Amino acid sequence: MLQRHMTALAVAVGLTALAQPGFAQDTYKIGSAVGLTGYAAASDRAWRDGQALAVEALNAKGGLLGKKVEYIAEDNRSEPQEAVVVYRKMMSNDKVNVFASGCVSAGNFAAAGAVVRAETPMVLCSILPPRPEEVKWAYSILPPPRFEMEARYNWLKANTQVRKIGIMHDPTPYAQLMRDVGVKSAQEAGFEVVAVESYKPDDVDMSVQIGRINAAGAGAIVKMGQGGSTVTIAKNIKQLGLEKMILLASLDDGAPLKAAGEELGERFMFVAPRVQIPAALQPGEPKEVAEAFLKIWREKFGDRDPNAGARGWDSVMVIAKAVQLANSFEGPKVRDAVEKISGFQGSFAKYNFSPEQHVGITENPYVIGVLRGGQFQVK
Amino acid sequence: MTSPATTSTSRWARGVVLPVAAVLAVMVFALNSSGYVVTVIGFAAIYAIFVTGLNFFMGYTGQASFGQNAFAALGGYGSAILSGNYYWDPLLALVVSMAFAGVVAAIVGYPTLKLRGHYLAMATFALGLITYEISIEWTGLTSGYMGISGIPPLGVGRYELGTEKQMLVALTAFLLLGVWISTRLRDSRFGRALRAIAGSEPAAQALGINVARYKLMAFVVAALYASCAGSLFAHFVGFISPEVFGGAMVIQSFTMLFLGGIGTTWGPVIGALMVLMLPEFLRGLKELQDVVYSCVLVMILIFAPKGLAGLVALIPTRRAPAAPRPAEAK
Repeated sequence: MLQRHMTALAVAVGLTALAQPGFAQDTYKIGSAVGLTGYAAASDRAWRDGQALAVEALNAKGGLLGKKVEYIAEDNRSEPQEAVVVYRKMMSNDKVNVFASGCVSAGNFAAAGAVVRAETPMVLCSILPPRPEEVKWAYSILPPPRFEMEARYNWLKANTQVRKIGIMHDPTPYAQLMRDVGVKSAQEAGFEVVAVESYKPDDVDMSVQIGRINAAGAGAIVKMGQGGSTVTIAKNIKQLGLEKMILLASLDDGAPLKAAGEELGERFMFVAPRVQIPAALQPGEPKEVAEAFLKIWREKFGDRDPNAGARGWDSVMVIAKAVQLANSFEGPKVRDAVEKISGFQGSFAKYNFSPEQHVGITENPYVIGVLRGGQFQVK
Repeated sequence: MTSPATTSTSRWARGVVLPVAAVLAVMVFALNSSGYVVTVIGFAAIYAIFVTGLNFFMGYTGQASFGQNAFAALGGYGSAILSGNYYWDPLLALVVSMAFAGVVAAIVGYPTLKLRGHYLAMATFALGLITYEISIEWTGLTSGYMGISGIPPLGVGRYELGTEKQMLVALTAFLLLGVWISTRLRDSRFGRALRAIAGSEPAAQALGINVARYKLMAFVVAALYASCAGSLFAHFVGFISPEVFGGAMVIQSFTMLFLGGIGTTWGPVIGALMVLMLPEFLRGLKELQDVVYSCVLVMILIFAPKGLAGLVALIPTRRAPAAPRPAEAK
């Protein structure tokens, strides 16, 4: 009998915990659905850590409009279904005021409908959701794909004789967008795309695709997609003995970029924001803001790559700026205020939002980086 | 001695009334809770439908299928495309997608089900992988990883289930209907044939059961359930992408089936609720969430090897007072 009562009590306690409503709001809550596990873990963990540092910095200065800022991050496991669950948890139980979620595009798309119905603004690491009514409430901290392409094409044209290129991309939305931009803009930039090959992020060998690109006469591979696939491609190029093939990689975390650079030397290059190569920081405000972030980042994380962390930091600072402009915590007012943020210098880039421009980075923030002497430097 | 009538009533109460009451209690609890709870229990209802179908093939018939996610994808994308792009009524889109999935299951299952054991498992696994790859690569139809958004909620004509709580009521109705069909079929001639096949295929054959035909029928029924679940997911969330119907779905559904009780009518429902609700109870543990969750699953499998539904059998039945002996009756 006692056992049965204990079981009933345990179930009741569990259900109560699940249903627990949020308490009265005396803090401004920023929620973040991030892929702490799964394919997006590398970038989203750094994104989260950058955000947490930014919230600490805001609270150290007294918070926002007199309220303490609370940061809530939930793991969406890089899966859309889990993203829907954690978004709902943060909306109905934690009562978050604004979202600053990570780079899992499908997860953000899946939850966007409910977030919009709740009139909660979103500042995202991913690309914007596809529907106009969702775009109205969403802002992106991610640079448009064309900037990555421009940086790589410009460098290739100015520094090499290569005019035939191959494109390799993974199937993620961002990489697919970049592929379309890359193919479309190649002719304008003076290149011929002789092969377009796809791969899965967890493929362990890409010799076949690389072989086809080489056979088509390409002198460089422009790679779109993040993670260990960059290292796999670099190793395969080396194994195939393609001694003149250049590999130009996407924006990524420092770890795979270093590993790929160790394979191919200076034939491996990548697009990098200046905060990833501090020597390239432009004097003035961009340098001051980036160094302020880097100082706090390094104190906490040492040599860890700051790229995604800087974007996470900026996402919180953009929200803080919007709250100050709106002089309010209300979702619709904060949403409207983000559209008024222009010329706002972040640690990663400068942000220019407007009613028509919900992708904040409008100036190309990239340089071409290379691994030299174990350090990232501008090529 | 318990009279047959008392035993039958007790079994009915334990097998039907208790589970239905439990499901309704969970749903009523959800309807009085936050959107978060509605979402979690809504997903549990959808998975319960999926696993109830899988139970036909794996539980009742004793076969292995690692590819039911393929039919969930057919249902999900069918509903998304028909109702999102061509403005069909969601319910009609769901039914047509189910019919399509059933036809595909019959066509694919006819040659595939000639295989047995591990070979059948590998063939069905390949089916799931192929469908997953198609959903990624056929971007003109599925939009690949970009997914399809703006899928309308369930509804007929001008009536639309506008809120998640209304959707949850509909999901509960679908679930109870699915379990009722499963119960009825399990105790029918068809269900007995399936259980005979699960016991021994040669023995079933010797008894005159057309093993290949019944296996195919179980496969098709499982596909219909899977397609229905896929469609319901699409209408519940309003968005689908290939990851929804990937390998994680297979692993989760297997966990639900074995944890709840394979071959039992209510096991899939219990398993789905357990597998989707337990991680939420443990969410506060942060990094330790997965560790504790896995430990709890292992403990359940050790101490309840027949699944959680098997524990119901341990509940003592209240016996009716013995009938008075003729000598005592005055």
